[in-house]
Amino acid sequence: MSIVLVRIDNRLIHGQVLEAWVPAVKANCIVVANDQAAAAPFQRLLMEAAVPKRIKVVVGSVAESSAILSTGELDAYRVLLLYATSEDALSGFRSGAPFHHLNLGNMHAGEGKQKLSCTIALDPEDIGNLQQLEAGGVRIVTQCIPSDRERPWKNLLPLSEC
Amino acid sequence: MTGLIIATHGNLAEEFLQACSTIIGPLAMARSIAIRREDAVEEIRGRLAAAIEEVGGDGDGVLIMTDMFGGTPANLSLTFLDPGKVEVLTGVNLPMILKFFNTQEGLSLVERASLVKAYGQQGIALASEFLSK
Repeated sequence: MSIVLVRIDNRLIHGQVLEAWVPAVKANCIVVANDQAAAAPFQRLLMEAAVPKRIKVVVGSVAESSAILSTGELDAYRVLLLYATSEDALSGFRSGAPFHHLNLGNMHAGEGKQKLSCTIALDPEDIGNLQQLEAGGVRIVTQCIPSDRERPWKNLLPLSEC
Repeated sequence: MTGLIIATHGNLAEEFLQACSTIIGPLAMARSIAIRREDAVEEIRGRLAAAIEEVGGDGDGVLIMTDMFGGTPANLSLTFLDPGKVEVLTGVNLPMILKFFNTQEGLSLVERASLVKAYGQQGIALASEFLSK
């Protein structure tokens, strides 16, 4: 198994992922671990259509994705794994998604969330989820696009990037 | 008349409308939406919904042009797709926008969108390919 990037990005597959991360990490498979997308055929169709043909796209629920990643079925691919939220990332990790490095990409402001950088806003629940991932041995960094500096997530300071 | 919304990464959308108005003059029923990396999904959807309401108020439908299939402006615009009422066209270019304003009235939303799509595709040319013709 070759997971080349695991990222929390509430926009899932979008410009930054397709045009910046895929070439940067030379991914040839994108796994979208998202319960809503997995249950929405039209959204899946659009996601698959938006990705260049040479890149395999797998859209599954968080649990299904962990299962697929554990079977070895994708061993031949360089996989970019996407979660929309910290809750999904923790749930994916607990259900067996084999990763030890996590990129916080886009986790935008919402009710009760404190904006900590240009693209990252967290609430106490997010912080709890990330701490549990860290306790499980996952190294967590922030880096929105490859040209941004990679930083440990705990270095986030209020409004440090905008 | 059919309303137009252009939704893009950064200020591209507004600049497209500015460029267009320097060619054909003031534009009716057109709005631009700029999407930045710090914008939350729900906030962007709110702006799209408000713009659809504004330019689609007369019931003649709304065409949303976006910069890139697979990008956030397109992904979020597509959540408003409502055949006959809201149509989405990706890969916006200036010929496409000009054609939108220069098509006659009386076309349905999807007819107009197809025409504009074809025109936008015809507007792409690689000069050296003319030499081999």
